[in-house]
Amino acid sequence: MTEEMALRTRELTKAYGRIQALRGVDLVVRRGEVFGFLGPNGAGKTTTIRCLLDLIRPDGGEIEVLGIDPQKDPVAVRARVGYLPGELSLESNQRVEGQLRYYNDLRNRQADWSYVHELARRLELDLSMPIKNLSKGNKQKVGVVQALMHKPELLLLDEPTSGLDPLMQQEVYRLLRVAREGGSTVFFSSHILSEVETLADRVAIIRQGVIVEEAEPQALKGMAVRRVHVRFLREVDASPLDRVDGVQLLHESNGLYATLQVAGEMDGLIKALAAFPVSDFETERPSLEEVFLSYYAGSKEVE
Amino acid sequence: MIAEFVHTLRRLRGQIIGWSIGVALYGLFMALLFDSITQIEGFEQLLASYPEEIMGFFGDIMSIMTPKGYLDVYYFAYMHVIVGILAISAAAGLIIGDEEKGTLDLVLAHPISRSRLFWGRVLGYVAALVIILLAGWLSWVIPAQGTTLDLTWLEFLRPFGPLLATLLLFGSLALVLSMVMPSARLAGMLAGGLLVGNYLLVGLSNLNENLANIVEYTPLYYYQGGDAVTGLNWGWLGGLIGVTLVLALIAWWRFQERDIRVGGEGGWKLPASLQRLARRRQSAGQQA
Repeated sequence: MTEEMALRTRELTKAYGRIQALRGVDLVVRRGEVFGFLGPNGAGKTTTIRCLLDLIRPDGGEIEVLGIDPQKDPVAVRARVGYLPGELSLESNQRVEGQLRYYNDLRNRQADWSYVHELARRLELDLSMPIKNLSKGNKQKVGVVQALMHKPELLLLDEPTSGLDPLMQQEVYRLLRVAREGGSTVFFSSHILSEVETLADRVAIIRQGVIVEEAEPQALKGMAVRRVHVRFLREVDASPLDRVDGVQLLHESNGLYATLQVAGEMDGLIKALAAFPVSDFETERPSLEEVFLSYYAGSKEVE
Repeated sequence: MIAEFVHTLRRLRGQIIGWSIGVALYGLFMALLFDSITQIEGFEQLLASYPEEIMGFFGDIMSIMTPKGYLDVYYFAYMHVIVGILAISAAAGLIIGDEEKGTLDLVLAHPISRSRLFWGRVLGYVAALVIILLAGWLSWVIPAQGTTLDLTWLEFLRPFGPLLATLLLFGSLALVLSMVMPSARLAGMLAGGLLVGNYLLVGLSNLNENLANIVEYTPLYYYQGGDAVTGLNWGWLGGLIGVTLVLALIAWWRFQERDIRVGGEGGWKLPASLQRLARRRQSAGQQA
């Protein structure tokens, strides 16, 4: 593994009894990037992250986190990683500060406590509150603080803004950008597409334990199926467009209008349209949400 | 490891305080009653009139008039079962309780090895039991000064050794069971059932010769109780500690091997090494 890579998995598999959670996950996350890990519930996001920390052991495949095999030296990996679990549970009979100090003790008091106070201030978290009195959102803030407080090289965040209000979500995004500017790598799972679109440099989509796509968010949108509306100057037979690679004629009206669906690059369609008297041409750019859905809605089962 | 040790003591502080007070108050009460009970007129005759079955089950009841016998019958004969409730429930939830609550996931995401977490918590648990038994010992030693319970502090202390060893043995059994059973509660119930069953078996073995042969293979047969006042049976004590260590090592090995659950994916499973072996054999069979 080169120095530029923060983590890499190769052919990662994991089954829970008869349920195959991961079916050969291949991932590469470069140092310093913000990597979004997209997928619906049960796709394998949390299982992948928990394998990276040796909380669960994969059945097969290889993992390297910051150049270390987590199964061989989990403590070395965890010393350099900040983790926020998807299902965050805290000791209910402690106060926030007591809980954070316990986590800091486990890190040999690595965290600068003034930074903990700064994080708490930015997230409007009262450190003196008993955890049992905290709302879900405030508990999530405790999780965010403990993940960030020792300024780790790699952040593994499983749905980091779960339960937070929109203002606090924005604050977490800012904190993650600051962490990235400080040299940290951020690997986060989410099913909130706007979050991934806002934060991530690159995105992987996992479905039924397999990575089905990996790209920059913009490229992912570019790869998606898009809809094209064409208005012609005079009546034409638009059926030849249906034979262009990646193009499907969805609707034709009086020979003057055509609605087409284009998969991938637009080049073929534009060249084909050069032979037509085009009056107007309009494309609908898909949101990442539509891209995401295109990988799931009506798609076949992964073999 | 120190962080986990301190954390375990902090978490168990409620039980430590509550059980220490309870055990100490009972010891204090019984120590102060010694003179009154032994001076009851006709008490010895009353004991002698007890049915043979009761005499057999509880052992040498007639020795109750001596400090050693009193300590045995009124305290050590059942204290291992009473404090055993705490020892078993605390051990069953020592690690798996956190897993069931979902807090273990985040703790183990910190730079602490599973071994350090395990042994840190086990040491905290042992310290908690020692503190409780220390309170029990003091509750006899201090008030005994004003009574005719003429035992030295060491004589009072000795029976607490086998008591602690027995508690740790059943605690480590609960710990092993918690690693292999679907829930900490189930592990605690099974270990508790085995403790009570063993207690009854030892009592009944005094009445039935057939049971006497079986009981030798159970841990409570080697629990000295109040007899340890006059001297420890080091062989028995060493045996109890040895079995405890073996059970603790098995629990530690299982903890090393297992996946940390966050819910739903656990259950009855073969150890990971056996699962890997089964998968290897399966794939070898498919290739053939």
